[in-house]
Amino acid sequence: MNAARKLALSFPLILLLALLLLYPLALLLGRSLQNANGLGLSNYLLLFTEAPYRRALFHSVILSALVAALSSLICLAPAWLFANENFPGKNLVRAIFTLPMSFSGIIVGFLAVIMLGRIGAVPQFLQRITGHNYLAGSAYQLGGLVIAYLYFEIPRATLTLESALRKFDPQLSVAARSLGAGTWQRLRLLILPLIWRPLVSTFAVTFTVSLGSFGVALILSKRFSVLPLEIFQQITGYGNQGLMAAMSIALVLLACVINYSVRATSGLGAGQLQDAEGRGGAGPPSGRRIDAGEGTPA
Amino acid sequence: MRMDRIGILALYLITWALLIVVAAPLLVVLAGAFLDPSLLGVSSERWAADTSAFVPGWFGYVFALYGRSMQFSLLLALLSVAVCIVVSVPAAYAIVRTDSRAGRALEEITLLPLSIPGIAMSIGLIQAYTIVRGQWWLILCGHVLYTIPLMMRVVTNALRSFDLEKLEGVAQSLGANRWQRSLFVILPNLRHSIIVGSLLVFAISWGEFNVSFLLNTPLHQTYPAALYATYTANSFAVSSAATTIFLAVIIPVLLALQWIGGREFNRLEQAA
Repeated sequence: MNAARKLALSFPLILLLALLLLYPLALLLGRSLQNANGLGLSNYLLLFTEAPYRRALFHSVILSALVAALSSLICLAPAWLFANENFPGKNLVRAIFTLPMSFSGIIVGFLAVIMLGRIGAVPQFLQRITGHNYLAGSAYQLGGLVIAYLYFEIPRATLTLESALRKFDPQLSVAARSLGAGTWQRLRLLILPLIWRPLVSTFAVTFTVSLGSFGVALILSKRFSVLPLEIFQQITGYGNQGLMAAMSIALVLLACVINYSVRATSGLGAGQLQDAEGRGGAGPPSGRRIDAGEGTPA
Repeated sequence: MRMDRIGILALYLITWALLIVVAAPLLVVLAGAFLDPSLLGVSSERWAADTSAFVPGWFGYVFALYGRSMQFSLLLALLSVAVCIVVSVPAAYAIVRTDSRAGRALEEITLLPLSIPGIAMSIGLIQAYTIVRGQWWLILCGHVLYTIPLMMRVVTNALRSFDLEKLEGVAQSLGANRWQRSLFVILPNLRHSIIVGSLLVFAISWGEFNVSFLLNTPLHQTYPAALYATYTANSFAVSSAATTIFLAVIIPVLLALQWIGGREFNRLEQAA
C-alpha cells in the first residue's frame, strides 16, 4: 500500500472534521465579519466599546488566568507526590483526584452552592462551631467562583503536571545534594528549570478550560459576567447574530493564541508533549493522562 | 535533610487539603440524596408517606421525571464511543504508518476542538445546520467532535509505542494479507488503548454540557441539561438525588479508567 492509499483510511475523519469543525468555524468567522454596511470589524469593536461586553471579556481573561495560575501552582504538590512518592492508598487518592474531571460546569456550580451557598454546608458547620455563619453565600462572590473553577481544574492540572514530573529523575536531586547543593540551590537551579515548562503548559491547558466553561458561571454568577455567559444571553435573547459570532470567534482565538504561543515558546505544549512521549516508546504512555487532563470540557 | 522532610510534609498537607475539597461536596450530595432534609434543617418540600430518615423515594421521582434524559445520554455516550472507534482507529493507523506532513496536519486539526470553547462550537453548529436543529444526531455530532481527539490521542500513542512497520513486515513475510494483518496483528495490540479510550469517551460524553446545552430540545435533552433543570427548579434533596445518579454512572467508569490505566502503566514500567 502506498502512502496515499493509507491516508484514504482517514477519509471518514477528514469528512467529519470538515463538516463539523471547519465549516461551522468558517461560517462563524464569516458571520462575525458581516454587518449592516457589508464586511468589517464592527462586531469585534462592539466587544471593546460596549461596557458590558468589554467587562465580560476582561472578566473571562482575568478569571481564567487567575485560576490557571493558582491551579498550576497548588497542584504541583499532589502531582509531585503521585509521581515520586509511594504512600498507602495512593491509587485511591489519585482516583478521587480525577473525579471532577468529567463533571460538567453546572454540577460544579451546584456543589459550590451546597457547600458555600447561603445555607451551604460550610457556613452551617461554622455556625455550629463558632456561632456565626461565616462564608454564607460566598459561592456567589468572586471567591466562590474562583474556588468552583479550581474544583474542576484540580484534576486537569494534577494529571498534566504528574505526567511531566514522571520524566523527572529524582536521582538528580540526590546527586545535586551529594554535590553539596542546599535545598534552596536545588530548588532554584535544578527543580525550577525542570518544572518550568510543565508549569507553563499546565497553565495553558487550565486557562483554555476555564475560558470555555460556562456551566459554573450559569449557576453561580449573579453580577460577574463572563464571555460564554454573554454568548448564552445573546442566543436566548435572540440578540445580535453578528455580535454573537464575534464573541464566539474571540473566545476561540483567545484559547488558540494562548495554547499555540505556549507551545511555540516552550516547545513543550500539549500536543508535542504527547508526541515526545509517544514516539519515545520507552516511556509509559502517560499521554492518556494528559489527554484526560486536557481534553475534557468543563 | 530536615528541610526536605518539611518540604515533603508540606506537599502531603496540601494534597490532603485538596482531597478534602474534592471529596467533601460529593459526600454532602450523597447525604442530601439519602437523608431526610428535615434532619439537615432545610425541609422545604413535603414528601407524603415517607417519614423515615432514610428515604429512597426521590430516586423514583427523578427517574420518572428525567428517565428519558438518562436513556438519551447513555445512548449518546455509547454511540459516541462507537463512532469514535470506527472513525479514529483507521485514521490513527494511517497517520502513524505514513508519518507524512498531511497526516500530522490532520492530527493537529483533530486535536483542535480541545482548545475551542464548547459554547462557541455549539453556536457554530447551530448556525451551520439551522435546518436540522433539534435533531438528536446533531447533539451526537457535538459529542463526537469533543471526544474524538481523546480517542485519537490514546490510539496514536499506542501505535507509536511499538514498531508498527517492523511488526507488519514480519506478519507480511509470514504470509498474512492486509486483512489478517489488521485483524490479528494490529488490532490485538490496540485492544487495551481502545478500551481506555472508550471509557474516556463515555465519561466525557455522559458529562458533556457545554456543546450540547444549546443543541438540546425539550424532546431530546441530555442528562446534564436535565440536571440544570433540576438545579433551577427542584429542591436540594431532589437535586442531590439526581446528581447522585449522575455520579453513580460516572464514578465506576472513572475508577475503571484509573485501574486499567494504572495496570498498563505498571506493566510498562516493569517492561522498561
